[in-house]
Amino acid sequence: MGHMQLKEIKAAPYERAEVNKGYTDQSLQINLDKTDIHISPIDTSVKEKFIGGKGYDLWYMWHAVTDSTKWDDPENTICISAGPLGGTPGYPGGGKSIVTAISPLTGAPIDSNVGGYFGPYKKFSGFDVIALTGKATQDTVILIDGIENKIKLFAASDLPETAYEMSDALTRHFDAEKPVNVSVVTAGPGAENTFFGCLNFSWFDAGRKRVRYKQAGRGGIGTVFADKKIKAVVARFGAISMKTNNPADLDALKTVTKAHAKEINALDPKQNRMALVGTTHLVPIMNDHDCLPTHNFKFGSHPGAAVIGEAVYEHIFDKGFDGCWRGCAVACSHGVKDFTPFTGPFQGKKVFVDGPEYETVAGCGANLGIFDPHTILEINFYCDAYGMDTISVGTAIGFVMECFENKLITTNQTGGMDISFGNRHSALELIHQMAGGEGFGTIVGKGVRQMKQIFAAEYQADAAFMQDIGMESKGLEFSEYMTKESLAQQGGYGLALKGPQHDEAWLIFLDMVHNFMPTFENKAEALHWFPMFRTWFGLCGLCKLPWNDIVPEDNKETEEPAKVVKHIQWYADFFSAITGKKTSADDLITMSEAVYNFQRVFNLKMGYGTRDHDTIPYRAMGPVTAEEYESRQERYDKQLTEKYGMDISGMDTNAKVAALRRERESQYEQLKDAVYERRGWNSNGIPTKETVKRLGIDFPEVLEVLEQNGIK
Amino acid sequence: MTRPVIQVDEKPVKWYQGMTIADLLEQMKDVTFCSVVRLNGKLVSSPKFAETLIPKDAVIQLLPLVAGG
Repeated sequence: MGHMQLKEIKAAPYERAEVNKGYTDQSLQINLDKTDIHISPIDTSVKEKFIGGKGYDLWYMWHAVTDSTKWDDPENTICISAGPLGGTPGYPGGGKSIVTAISPLTGAPIDSNVGGYFGPYKKFSGFDVIALTGKATQDTVILIDGIENKIKLFAASDLPETAYEMSDALTRHFDAEKPVNVSVVTAGPGAENTFFGCLNFSWFDAGRKRVRYKQAGRGGIGTVFADKKIKAVVARFGAISMKTNNPADLDALKTVTKAHAKEINALDPKQNRMALVGTTHLVPIMNDHDCLPTHNFKFGSHPGAAVIGEAVYEHIFDKGFDGCWRGCAVACSHGVKDFTPFTGPFQGKKVFVDGPEYETVAGCGANLGIFDPHTILEINFYCDAYGMDTISVGTAIGFVMECFENKLITTNQTGGMDISFGNRHSALELIHQMAGGEGFGTIVGKGVRQMKQIFAAEYQADAAFMQDIGMESKGLEFSEYMTKESLAQQGGYGLALKGPQHDEAWLIFLDMVHNFMPTFENKAEALHWFPMFRTWFGLCGLCKLPWNDIVPEDNKETEEPAKVVKHIQWYADFFSAITGKKTSADDLITMSEAVYNFQRVFNLKMGYGTRDHDTIPYRAMGPVTAEEYESRQERYDKQLTEKYGMDISGMDTNAKVAALRRERESQYEQLKDAVYERRGWNSNGIPTKETVKRLGIDFPEVLEVLEQNGIK
Repeated sequence: MTRPVIQVDEKPVKWYQGMTIADLLEQMKDVTFCSVVRLNGKLVSSPKFAETLIPKDAVIQLLPLVAGG
């Protein structure tokens, strides 16, 4: 490979819109077919209804695609927005971007929330949202330069192949003197060759003098990015302070920022210690509570988990400030320096690994039967460098491992590889194959839903069994919680708009451990309130961790400890201080509800968004096999006799599995009914006209979609 | 002779030989959401509360809520 070449093919100077109360009120639309750069104002009515972040992304996507748009059609549009509060230095979790596109995995809108400096830099460069549409004819790098006030498109050649090297090269290319001014969005070869490509959002770690990155992982947005021949989008901006968002009330902003940061600084060391261990504290906790997915979600715990949690990673993580946004007190984005991979293109070379987080440890460790912290680091490193989502990778490989152990696939299909649980060499080899579009990895990289079809059609594998154990819903691989004993979390996954990702409703502990929601109505209320409030973070450009991963000392004495009401009030104050709109805690829910329902109707527009699509595999509800049942026999026997009043004395294990399945599947359907009613949807899971009217999203095009689906 | 104490959320609590995490929580208020504690820096989850003995001079933090995600 020669030296990186960037040939300018388009340059558009622009007058940078100043940020006013968190908004620039401008959008940037780049059509790669025509190398067209278009800047347009954002209508006030859009701002009032869609707030920003995911709301803006969905609004622009809705108008860019038709009901027949597929993920690889030119009109599919990648939108990135940071929201009005995003880019507030010092506010914990105050620098997130929300990315959306039509997903290669689900065919519907997918959204992914990611750290790094890109979102704020892009906004401060003049754009609340960017929309990337069309397909370039050659590898393209896009520069949004808020210092020189220019948008540039470059034809790129001889770029480094991996995101790891490309992020660094482009950062130093675009501002060698002040690399901290640059943030790069990249994918990688794995994004080109799989359906679960991720995007890496970078920042320059001034302390370590190196580029770091976080991932917009879910749903294959990196795959769309690669399909458009975008190699990178770069944002460049200079000095930032609390004034950069031009808040309506700077003093109020300082007050609430200081209060929240001070509390986290004081309490995180006493609580989850995320500034030291990130989210790896969850590994032993989930394992102890039988929630850590093990062997393709078959089980919820394993003795080996003791060596892949915080007790080990605390000592491996490089010490230093690890905020993915400036001044974030949570600072949970840890990494490992001088790690030496034993496979792949970086074999024998020292690299820096950004991670792992809980999801990667659980998905690429326990779920694969790999209880080796260094192998998990290597998988983490390569997934990021190749641009592949660690969650989908872990869940997909877990599925093929179980298929292999059940002889649904053999070495004839795997190219001779033994892909039994625990085989770390094969797991890594599959990852290299996926990234290169080679061998059996090509099939694994299509995701669990397509693998089920391929294995059944081409290898005569048992389709019904694969349906039960294939951990996907809506086409998206499950994130890493074992939900068999939490009906609410089953709903948290199955009823999530984009597919089974925990960021919408993480209720597993409140339900299963605390028994906080014993009735269907309680669960339905939780499956209304929590998704709505969690959606709000995505509208505003924030991370949700500071909300409820570090809680006030007196939180347990409040009426609703699960909601952490003191922090909700702080968020209302934060929103008021930036935007100047006097905002109450209840207002935050109303804002989210409109966007949430709009996204459900968007799913409907794309041919999804109904009850059938909220189905989850039985593995998420209960034991599929006799082996699983017998591993927790006391628990299940007790439920059959005490909860369901059955006489099980004459039943063998298979009969018990079937009896429990009838009950649990029935419960899940009842839960759907209760949640749909609470959300103002009909029994088919479609928002009613009254609901969209109440929320002010009864636009003609929304009503048209509803009418096409029988809503009069 | 003063009875030995342990530190629980930076406050002294009387300790006795054979005391478990479950015993400790039983005598405390507002611990509904406490499903995990740190015992001398190490995480202990609720399924192990009854079997985990608290050593003399232990330092314990009650983790208020496991939020995840």
